[in-house]
Amino acid sequence: MNRRALLAGLAAAGGALAAGLYRFTDLFVKHYPPTAHDDLLEELGDRDQAARLGAAVDNAPDAKALAARLRTSLQGDLATAVQADIAAGRLTEVKGWLLPQTVVLLSALAAKS
Amino acid sequence: MSAFVDARTLAAGTVLKPDIAIVGGGPAGISLALALAATKLDILLLESGSMNLDPAVQDMYAGSQSGDDYASLDAGRLRTLGGGTNHWGGWCRPLDASDFEKRDWVPHSGWPFPRTALDPYYPRAQALVEAGPWIYDQGDRLASAKAPMLPLGHGGLYTSWFQFSKMRGDVLPTRFGVRYEADIKAAATIKPLLNANVTAIRLTPDARRVDRLDVATLTGLRFTVKPRHVVLAAGGMENARLLLASNDVMKAGVGNQNDMVGRFFGDNPIPRDVATLVVFSGKRGPYYGNNLNMGNGAIMRAVFAPTAAFARSRHIMGSLTTMEHPVELDETGKAAVITAAIALGVDASNARAFSVGCGMELMPDPDRRLTLTGEKDALGLPRLKLHMRVTDDDFARYRLTLAELGRQLLASGAGLLRLNCSHREEWLKNMDWGHHHLGTVRMHSNPKQGVVDGDGKVHGLANLHVAGSAVFPTYGASNPTLNLLALTLRLADHLKRIAA
Repeated sequence: MNRRALLAGLAAAGGALAAGLYRFTDLFVKHYPPTAHDDLLEELGDRDQAARLGAAVDNAPDAKALAARLRTSLQGDLATAVQADIAAGRLTEVKGWLLPQTVVLLSALAAKS
Repeated sequence: MSAFVDARTLAAGTVLKPDIAIVGGGPAGISLALALAATKLDILLLESGSMNLDPAVQDMYAGSQSGDDYASLDAGRLRTLGGGTNHWGGWCRPLDASDFEKRDWVPHSGWPFPRTALDPYYPRAQALVEAGPWIYDQGDRLASAKAPMLPLGHGGLYTSWFQFSKMRGDVLPTRFGVRYEADIKAAATIKPLLNANVTAIRLTPDARRVDRLDVATLTGLRFTVKPRHVVLAAGGMENARLLLASNDVMKAGVGNQNDMVGRFFGDNPIPRDVATLVVFSGKRGPYYGNNLNMGNGAIMRAVFAPTAAFARSRHIMGSLTTMEHPVELDETGKAAVITAAIALGVDASNARAFSVGCGMELMPDPDRRLTLTGEKDALGLPRLKLHMRVTDDDFARYRLTLAELGRQLLASGAGLLRLNCSHREEWLKNMDWGHHHLGTVRMHSNPKQGVVDGDGKVHGLANLHVAGSAVFPTYGASNPTLNLLALTLRLADHLKRIAA
């Protein structure tokens, strides 16, 4: 084995290791068990923080109902939905924090998923 | 030149006959006397206290209370020359035009004249409080040159500005007794009488005019003042007390033929830590949390005020919301900030949180009132009792204002707001008061709805006027001193016309 082949082999092994760590560990990115609402939860940039917030939501419906409601209201991207909430005054209090309704629903879904 | 005269040195039975007797040497009384100094009118300025606070004199302010908790009646007042300006904070801001208007959702609202009637007097009032140039409407421009302002999305609140009274140099604020002592003494037509307590307003038998004032000192001396005109300028509580206690001719008290004197007591509640305001960038201009010298003789501070249109649409009362000291967030708060910032597409890695305070306007309430008790002070004057009342509705209306501020912060992507108070106990937990005694001798053109008319004259009496914030029928959330001075200067012009 010449030197070039050795280096290529090491690079390939490193790449495979990184891909494995990325895919199968939480070292680079947090992995969650698959749910039926992953298409919605993907909108959250930090699902752990959203879940922490969502756990504080009073009287939140179950995940299925939350997801159904979000699929109706969240037709475009999250940013558009959030701006629409703010413009329409659709804010929800979570322990006093005034937040766009869509953010609160997504956070509650994260907490229940 | 008139030196201060100690009333205790007068001969018993003395009768003084000035053109105008001003009862009270606080900011209204002093300003009125000085405004009239250039006339040929003889002005007698009667001050209960002296240059220094005397506990025995101050005790005459003591009274009792019922209803909701409130500061003791002798706590927010100072019975000495200069009155409340001996301990005021120097906050100045003109009332808004909407504060003068009849508001359909506010019973008993509406002044007898619009804000434009006071506009000519504000510059002189501003000079009296030494608050620098009149630049309330230039705060945005001046502040932006120093540090970026917090952007608010389009909505019901806007950034407004206080200016601050200053005495000289960095000493805050203007104490009227000290600051204007020399001016009073220099005025040949002003006779300042210290330690002189008015104990009764005596009317002519037909109850059409004030005939004389009974005056006493704590040393037991009694004398009489027979003026052509009387102006009560003794403050929002004491004006009502004198009127109610003077009941030998008008049995319900002077000017109280319609049971209005003492009612509608008002103050500006100052609940602390009503909200937590997070600034995503972590950068806050210094003029939000502190009074900032703008470099042109004006000291200013930013507040958030509701627009008249928002007040009308949501039926809210006046309020001025302040940013205060930094606070720490709990785990839910941090989660709310991170999640909201990501959703808004903004960076909150340097976010900082601040406590929010405010000054509020209360809904006018005829049952929030002063009455006399059977207990008497050292000179035999009945002491006051205050029935205080702050309703849940007062808090609920202000909460709507805070919620709109929160919405506007989200709209601009600048920050996030937490409402800290939901229940009455939470509002009252950190409650402070402005000690702005307002409304007890309210102004209205209809005698059945007010004690004085638009000129400050007591209905039905030809020569009795009232100065000061006691006559404010409504009062917004601006601190009263600048505004009562403008109103006093307007009264001075009126008196010049009728007393000359």
